[in-house]
Amino acid sequence: MEPRTSLRLRGWRNAGVSVGMVVPAVLVYVALLVVPVGYAFYYSFTEYNGFPTRVPEFIGLENYQTVFSSDDMTGTMVTTGVIAVIGALVVNLAALGLALLLQKPNRFNTFGRVVMFYPHVLSALVVGFLWQAILGPQGVVNTMLEKVGSDSLPFLSDPNWALWSMIFVIAWALFGVQLILYLAGLQAVSTDLLEAARIDGASRWQTFRSVTWPSLAPTVTAAIITSGISLLKTYDVVVSLTGGGPAGSTKTLAYQILAVSFPERDIGVASAQAVLLILAAAVLAITVLVIRRRAENDAESIG
Amino acid sequence: MMSTHRGRTVRGGAAVAAALSLVLLPACAAGGSSESSDGEIRMMVNLTDNLDQAYWEKLVKPFEDESGLKVKIEGPTGKSVAESFPQQLAAGTAPEVIQSIFPDDDTAPELVDLSDEAWAKDTPMFDDYAMEGAHYAVGVGTQTQSLIYYNKTAFTEAGIAEPPKTWAELDDALGKLKQAGFTPMQTAGDFQTGLQLQQIYHPTLNQEHPKWQAKVAEGELNVGDIYEPAFQLYADWISEGHIAKSDVGLSPSQADGNFIAGKVGLYTNGSWFAATLAQAEDLPFEVGVFSPPTEDGSAYPGPQGATMANPYMIRQGGGDEDGAKQLVEFLVTDPAAIEAQLGSDGVFRQGADVEQSDVEAQIQTILDDAPELVAVGEGQGDVRLPVTGFNPKLTEIAQSLYTGASPADAARAIDQWIGSSS
Repeated sequence: MEPRTSLRLRGWRNAGVSVGMVVPAVLVYVALLVVPVGYAFYYSFTEYNGFPTRVPEFIGLENYQTVFSSDDMTGTMVTTGVIAVIGALVVNLAALGLALLLQKPNRFNTFGRVVMFYPHVLSALVVGFLWQAILGPQGVVNTMLEKVGSDSLPFLSDPNWALWSMIFVIAWALFGVQLILYLAGLQAVSTDLLEAARIDGASRWQTFRSVTWPSLAPTVTAAIITSGISLLKTYDVVVSLTGGGPAGSTKTLAYQILAVSFPERDIGVASAQAVLLILAAAVLAITVLVIRRRAENDAESIG
Repeated sequence: MMSTHRGRTVRGGAAVAAALSLVLLPACAAGGSSESSDGEIRMMVNLTDNLDQAYWEKLVKPFEDESGLKVKIEGPTGKSVAESFPQQLAAGTAPEVIQSIFPDDDTAPELVDLSDEAWAKDTPMFDDYAMEGAHYAVGVGTQTQSLIYYNKTAFTEAGIAEPPKTWAELDDALGKLKQAGFTPMQTAGDFQTGLQLQQIYHPTLNQEHPKWQAKVAEGELNVGDIYEPAFQLYADWISEGHIAKSDVGLSPSQADGNFIAGKVGLYTNGSWFAATLAQAEDLPFEVGVFSPPTEDGSAYPGPQGATMANPYMIRQGGGDEDGAKQLVEFLVTDPAAIEAQLGSDGVFRQGADVEQSDVEAQIQTILDDAPELVAVGEGQGDVRLPVTGFNPKLTEIAQSLYTGASPADAARAIDQWIGSSS
């Protein structure tokens, strides 16, 4: 009888400890995630200027209709999608390539890793201003081109050039984190497997394709999701590099929310755009996870 | 098998949760407190090259010394005060005093009506900004919006005797400046593209359509129709090479620099550019200023676009409303504070005894000769467009002229936006 009571007490105590440890995290999660998402979702069905003296007026799906019927906003969503997809590809290819080059520990590679991570330490606003000074019509590159008698290039004054310039700049600023992820992932690749491949006479490419790449699968998944989501939220670089121009060609959804809809006091529309951004992030994460599932299975099987 | 599946599900859920956190956390991180600590008044100002943090702190120092109140100068948390103030109001973190923007239908209920304040009644343009009899903004003077600065040396070398008074004369002058090897007309990207287009077109537009903002609000006019001639002028100048297409990627400060360096013939800008010129000191040429040309056959000079300079507004229900009123009263009535503000950013005030540079004296003459001072952009007081965000949108549309859009496309785009945003 006594041991059973003692067991029950111990069970309650363990449960209490578990609840005590989980509750603060749940509260933080609810306060920082559930409540803001709930508000954004609610406001997205209202007409509201965001000011305390006004009461939000329920208008159903009108804000979503506004978002999808406006060429301006659909153009912004397409631009955001292009930046997220192309940017994620560029960032991850660059980061993986450099990680493979810098994976062996020696002084040069340590220096290289620091240099490559450095852009990420800079504020995104500073990065934008820096590249504005380099790529602008009177920037360093165009001044040098003029000096050698060549025509200047419209890095920031042509809509297509400006978009590609911005993707390049964001990728430059972002890939440091992905580089660290890939370097960590490469450290975890089994040396036994690499040695076995070498003994079997596999070439470098064969070793990469059959051993390194499958082993990196979870890292690739995490790197693509985190970089994709960072790119979806692109705002600061837009502000300082292009200001959304020329002619609105580099406006992202985050820029549209913060620099256009909020100042225009369209809290309902801004919230609808924010909800779409959250959904886009979720869709991106789930899609990448689903696509990468087979690769992760392979990784588990060889690990 | 089962554990593997559960592992995947947990990993997937965590990834989605991580995704949501990354999207949402910045929104939660912003903010602060709307309540000031005791004896502190928060004032949000636009920080510029001319009006930096040190300038503002020096400006309010005598008030702090005399009143014992502390003034905390804050720059905008976003791109500008216009962008940051609504965000901070919504977040409950707006400061007590807001500088550089004007009241509108949305913000008016959040602001203190200064109509009964005796000290406010004689401030410049006080009644021009009244909304249905209520006064929410007080300022220090007037900023002239529609000016064209020109390089007198370039004009002489190009054989131009007088500043142009009609669009035809301006076309002719631009051609001669180009032939003489100067950049005929300097424009810029960012906010300045739309601003310059409005500045050069104000005198013509306001002769043909006085109080056009109110007429648009009443449905009597379309913005696209009345701005299409301006879009056409710009499109022609771009196609003739009088305006460089690459200007659309140029920062306003670089454009200022080009004019100051003497490479440019004409540069449309507001009276605040006089302060930039004064800071530049020894210029390699003499600067002239004239009111923009008007349509052939109409009066010259035309009405001058003008705005209240250094407007201040007080938020209702702020931590220390009385202290905020004292601060604003000091800023718009104290002689030393007024003098400091007049000299800082091309601000003009009738009867002010301030030493003027040659350029400022020319601007004062233009201001005195203008047949009328008119509302610009979205408008002011009761003469306003039925939309918020007109200037950034017009900039976007003006920039499309540089990237190949036709004037008709531009006119259609602004009307579509007005229609969907009204």
